[in-house]
Amino acid sequence: MAVAADAAAADAAADVTTAYGVGIGWRPEIAGFVAGLPGLRFAEVVAESVHAHGDLPPGLQELLDRGVTVIPHGVRLSLGGAEPVDPERVAHFAAVAERLHAPLISEHIAFVRAGGVEAGHLLPLPRSYAAVDAVVANVERLRAATPVPIALEPIAAVFDWPDDELDEASFLTEILDRSGALLLLDVANVYANARNRGTDPLELIDKLPLDRVAYVHVAGGADHDGIYHDTHTDAVPQPVLDLVTALCERHRPPALMLERDGDYPPARTLSDELDAIAAASGYPAVT
Amino acid sequence: MEQLAATGDTWGVPGPTFLIFYVALIVLVAIVAAAHRRALFAGDRTAQVDRLGPQQIAYLNGGDQLALYASLGGLRAAEAIASATDKTLSQAGPLPSGATALDTAVYNAAGNRIRAREVRADRWVAAALEQLRTGLEQAGLVVTADRQKAARRWALAGLALILLGVARLVDGLQNGKPVTFLLFAIFLAVAVTLRFWRHKPQRTRAATKGLSSVRGNYDYLSPAQSPSYATYGASGAAMGVALFGTASLYTMDPAFAAEAEVQRNNVGGGFDGGSGSSCSSGSSCGGGGGCGGGGCGG
Repeated sequence: MAVAADAAAADAAADVTTAYGVGIGWRPEIAGFVAGLPGLRFAEVVAESVHAHGDLPPGLQELLDRGVTVIPHGVRLSLGGAEPVDPERVAHFAAVAERLHAPLISEHIAFVRAGGVEAGHLLPLPRSYAAVDAVVANVERLRAATPVPIALEPIAAVFDWPDDELDEASFLTEILDRSGALLLLDVANVYANARNRGTDPLELIDKLPLDRVAYVHVAGGADHDGIYHDTHTDAVPQPVLDLVTALCERHRPPALMLERDGDYPPARTLSDELDAIAAASGYPAVT
Repeated sequence: MEQLAATGDTWGVPGPTFLIFYVALIVLVAIVAAAHRRALFAGDRTAQVDRLGPQQIAYLNGGDQLALYASLGGLRAAEAIASATDKTLSQAGPLPSGATALDTAVYNAAGNRIRAREVRADRWVAAALEQLRTGLEQAGLVVTADRQKAARRWALAGLALILLGVARLVDGLQNGKPVTFLLFAIFLAVAVTLRFWRHKPQRTRAATKGLSSVRGNYDYLSPAQSPSYATYGASGAAMGVALFGTASLYTMDPAFAAEAEVQRNNVGGGFDGGSGSSCSSGSSCGGGGGCGGGGCGG
């Protein structure tokens, strides 16, 4: 009996896995393009751009009506801040998740403000046990406000703090283990970090708990003065797509998405990028 | 006293009786005219506005000028035309495939390096606009000149009512009769007449209804969404101008719009600016336009 139940659960999990596939970050600038993707099963929206109670931005409601799963992605919560997360921001985030009927929410392992000063950027945490404590405590506060699982995204950083106690993999694993959160893996970040430090991106990927990956960000970047920047405004380079393939060979995540944040190319180019991610991951094309 | 008043009735009709008939006549004319005009402006309810191209939509939304701007927007987005600081247009690339007759005419006019505001006077452009209008008239989306005239004729009936009232007013005043209520009734006749004279819709009701549904289909092109015209292409740019007016042209290419002396906000209605998407940049870069420098990081 228990075996049958387990098998059913595994089937259901497999269904979910095959259901999501390749998605895209929904942005108002390209809402018409996203709406025109026939095979789209999931999209992500910046949580702070959605009103918790008013009308949804045009186009987003249509996606929901079509049965597209929309994941709110927070960028301003500052989960890595030493101070507790702002209860108002947490309440808004939770309300947006409910508004979108999201099965999952995501935020960054980063801080965007400290001592009341807004950085306007996602800033990396020192990889210390104190930072782990701070993130875990803030995730706990977020978890208290919403019943859905939380996925945490490590960020790209062009520098390391001098007093790091943990390496990236153990830092992330420690946070995930202690907070019970899922992982939102950004392969473009992994690529950028490895490339800027002269390491092998697969080294990190092989140390991460890949079964905990909720979904994956794929984005473009560009070289400036010898440093690779994860810009989200350039094309996805082939090495990042290769990394997607390598990741999927190890453990294919349930969903991968293109994250583009500006300098949007013609629809054809965006479609090609989505198709390239589909081909690299082995999921069906959504275009 | 009463007998005296009766014999002194203006035109032999007592004031209250005249007033009742006069007002009734105004109301009757107003009702019949409204019904007739409603039929004249109805248009073809089966016409499919959502199948129209951007320039046709633009024509319905803002007439000749907006159709022209939609064409300019499409040609600009396709990089077929450019503008110079002396405000003249020029050809910058080949005419895109799928160009309409209006596009071709505008493109050729641009080849003569004329100013954008003079394009409308170009005879080929004028002919293409005429052709556009005729097509829309035949589709029951634009009110024909004949129907406009027929609708306006009701203003003559209104004028007759005014004259009747004024004649009564003059004679009444000479008779020393009270005329306050008559004055109000004349104002009513004037209001009805002005309405018939001034209200001459260019598009039919069918077109108005169709336009609002098309606007809903393309709400992602609203300037409030800061649409990426590079993504939507030339036809998206043209449709943006068609539905949301020249604000779209200024969003897309402010330098071109200024050099082409494009009028701002030449479409009054239909643009819902406060659609709730303006509270954030919508980017995942951590807000505040913080994408530069060290990259988004997330």
